[in-house]
Amino acid sequence: MTVSSQVKGCFSSIKSAEATLETLAAKTNDQEAEQIFKEVQNTLKTVQLDLENQVLYLTKEEPQYKS
Amino acid sequence: MPGWLEVVVRSVVFLIVLFVITKALGKKQMSQLDIFQYITGIVIGSIVAIHVTDYTTNAVHGFLALAVWFLITVTIEYTALKSKRFRNLVQGKGTVLIQNGKIMEDNLKKERFTTDNLLEELRNNKVFNAADVEFAVLEPTGKLNVLPKKEHQPITPKIIGTQVAPEKEPQTVIMDGHALLEPLANASLNTNWLETELDKMNVSIENVFLGQVDSDGQLTVDLYDDKLAVAQPTEKPLLLASMKKCQADLELFALETENQDSKLLYQKNSERMQEAIDKITPYLQ
Repeated sequence: MTVSSQVKGCFSSIKSAEATLETLAAKTNDQEAEQIFKEVQNTLKTVQLDLENQVLYLTKEEPQYKS
Repeated sequence: MPGWLEVVVRSVVFLIVLFVITKALGKKQMSQLDIFQYITGIVIGSIVAIHVTDYTTNAVHGFLALAVWFLITVTIEYTALKSKRFRNLVQGKGTVLIQNGKIMEDNLKKERFTTDNLLEELRNNKVFNAADVEFAVLEPTGKLNVLPKKEHQPITPKIIGTQVAPEKEPQTVIMDGHALLEPLANASLNTNWLETELDKMNVSIENVFLGQVDSDGQLTVDLYDDKLAVAQPTEKPLLLASMKKCQADLELFALETENQDSKLLYQKNSERMQEAIDKITPYLQ
């Protein structure tokens, strides 16, 4: 596996975790829990954005592995 | 009216009256929390017993006596509600038997409590060594309540300094194979949701003996057919595991790369993930 594809895998894991958090926040009845789920979801969103840029950068760096 | 018929009629009538009176006196009467409740309970029972079995008595007198005892009890309860001094008089005050870890011998004598009585009551509270007790009070009901010394108290999350997620009461949404609409509405869910969740578990509602939803919307069920295995909710542990994996991956990337900018980026995000994991762990357990 190339670095690029590893980072891509991590990126999609985070994306899925973020989606799960969103459903949990929607499902819970507890205000405090909903707040925490949303905060963590936002943190994951920033990480996700950073990784997305990194994936683009890596594809540029190793064009031979472009998929 | 023949004697036996009179007894039958009186039994039924007094049973109904007794039921109504006990209902009206409330739950407190059932637990006989103070001296007065205790006396009233005995007397009302005796009045009914006498008038039911002895049909030569005047039933009207029986009802009168019941009414008087009922009214006195209610009046006393309302007065006790208003006045602390009156309350102390009729309901009594607790007696401190152990204070600052020392047994108060005078108070023991006052309550005619022997050392064996005290030890027995302490054992009832799961305390076997009197030296483990900081404070103990004998309530007016005769029950001993014990505050153990701090080091002998059970461990709570506060003592070990961990954070726990708040939890609301679960709602029972399925009983004996039928969906209960009111608890579903309380959890702001509907029957469609219930059907979807049951489909996911691959069980039909007729087979469900008991189903409950926690405050996070997770459904747990018990089936009539105990041989069938039911899927446990896995969403939360899976989420936590995948977040931990991502964090570890990011850390690994940071170690592997030679590009300084990328290294910084991975490190920053790995820290962010760690913070997120710390924050959410109590809620996913």
